Amino acid sequence: MRTYILRRLIQIVPTVLGITFIVFLMMRSVPGDPVVSLLGDAYTEEDAIKARAEYGLTKPIVVQYFIWLGKLLRGDWGASILSGRPVLQDVLIRLPVTLELIVLSMGVALVIAIPAAIIGALRQNTWADYTATSIAMVGVSIPEFFIGVLLLLVFSIGLGGFLPSSGWIYLPGTCPTMVCGSSIWGNVTHVMMPAFALGVGRAALLTRLLRASMLEVIRTEYVTTARAKGLAERPVVFKHALKTALLPTVTVMGLQVGFLIGGAIVVETLFAMPGLGTFGIDAIISRDYQQVQGFALITALAFVVINLLVDLTYTFLDPRIRYG
Amino acid sequence: MTTERRPISGGSVGEADLRSARDTTWTGARAKRSETPLAQAIHRLRKSTTALIGAGIVVALVLVAIFADALAPQSPTTSDQMQTFQRPSRDHVLGTDQLGRDMLSRIIHGSRISLAVGVSSVLLALFVGVPFGMIAGFYGGRTDTVIMRIMDLILAFPIYLLAIILMVMFTPTAGLIGTMKVTGAIAIVRIPIYARLVRGSVLSIKEKEFIEACRALGVRDWSILFRHVLPNCLAPIIVTTTLGIATSIIVEATLSFLGLGTQPPTPSWGWDLKANIAFIQANAWLSLFPGLAIFVTVLGFNLFGDGLRDALDPRLK
Repeated sequence: MRTYILRRLIQIVPTVLGITFIVFLMMRSVPGDPVVSLLGDAYTEEDAIKARAEYGLTKPIVVQYFIWLGKLLRGDWGASILSGRPVLQDVLIRLPVTLELIVLSMGVALVIAIPAAIIGALRQNTWADYTATSIAMVGVSIPEFFIGVLLLLVFSIGLGGFLPSSGWIYLPGTCPTMVCGSSIWGNVTHVMMPAFALGVGRAALLTRLLRASMLEVIRTEYVTTARAKGLAERPVVFKHALKTALLPTVTVMGLQVGFLIGGAIVVETLFAMPGLGTFGIDAIISRDYQQVQGFALITALAFVVINLLVDLTYTFLDPRIRYG
Repeated sequence: MTTERRPISGGSVGEADLRSARDTTWTGARAKRSETPLAQAIHRLRKSTTALIGAGIVVALVLVAIFADALAPQSPTTSDQMQTFQRPSRDHVLGTDQLGRDMLSRIIHGSRISLAVGVSSVLLALFVGVPFGMIAGFYGGRTDTVIMRIMDLILAFPIYLLAIILMVMFTPTAGLIGTMKVTGAIAIVRIPIYARLVRGSVLSIKEKEFIEACRALGVRDWSILFRHVLPNCLAPIIVTTTLGIATSIIVEATLSFLGLGTQPPTPSWGWDLKANIAFIQANAWLSLFPGLAIFVTVLGFNLFGDGLRDALDPRLK
């Protein structure tokens, strides 16, 4: 097991290098560079040349990449070209917001999907099943931002500002700067709509998937055996069938993390949240190379680490799977 | 969803045998009617209500997009400063936006961008991804490794991140060129999906006897690939394409929503939704209609795609 984890951790390295290198190449080939916005109205060709040299932007791209990588190995994520703030600091400030959003939206997805899928599978072709599958169909067809807009219309505007439409309040004790609002209730009201907007689509997808695999599992002989030996329906479903049926679902959940990070960009933009998503899109649009690299790095890391965790949960769900 | 014809209870062996025997006679009866697999698939498709609803939505949308000029009551881009933020009325069925443009006309014309980008990006990905997948699966070895590692690298990106950076690289513009840029960005993101899908199918098909027979007869590689292997992996390709159009339409709308899709004045649902959010407090309907348009379109393709999957290959479920 330990060697397996170690091997997987080593495999992470080329993936992360690959992603960050491609992002590096792509960003450098974007027309325009950050120096133009850095100098603003005071732009002169002379200053621009000086600034480019100062930030090492005149060196060959591959050399620039290795300079970035070398600094990274020493724990230096670089500093924003536009604001001068250290990238790592910004990433760490924004990470908890996005993490909370993604974890809660996954929670929303599971809380909706597991019961819906079980009902759909156990009562196949009844009105309950049709309702569950129809709602799931609707769910996979709505883009996150439209769910967000609908939620805004109902809970922020319709109910007279019951839930705040934008901004963020931190959980007590997580405030990363000197001044920021923090309260549990404030945090809950701010995260509810975004988490729901992001979670509904995943819930629908997981419902369809889990229902299908539940349908397969409850027809296997070991489930029949469990029933035949007089086991109550509840342990049959939850202890025997659900665990097996969750296997493919967990794989998809891992792959969905990549999608959730993208979805976070959209939802955070809509609800004006100070998370990694808005950080990333702002960095990309203003061509702040160092910030974009930091965003790409944290995204790639999150993606591969979560997929490693997904593979490790297999051993829990199916004890026959052993990693040597 | 199809009902499985596998024995449900554990049952005795005899019972299971009986069932499979019945199944054989069933297929026998079908074969006697000499229905081609295609005819059978169409037969199954026509029995599925959801697939028909999906097909209906898709056909209606295609017609709206083609005849947008005739259907739209006004020009989607002409603004009228005297008529801003009109509520839905007889003159403006869906109201007007902040520039006094007729929402209904914008939604009708917006269908063109959504459908054009959705369909053409998927087809572009298909024409690039399928040959790569076929070559990788058929030749194996180093060719396979090189192609699939590149595909894996693209797949390792969160799709929105890749699409966003590609669009920043291409610099979003208006009109046909702008639409082509979005199409290209979404196509690149989707290429690996086809490559992987086709490679998997090819790997299993190339071991079949009839391919060996082709080889023995001296049929050329490309002829084996395109005339014998490809037709056998068409079903999953068709299903993935239909469902892929739905996803691509969502990605296009999302890019537009982030301001990175086709630029104004070209009418686009995602952009309209975003632009109108600023006025959501007083004019809720403005954001509602473009969102509903996206939803209905995606729903149509999803329903049709689900029906197709059940009809073409019931085993895929």
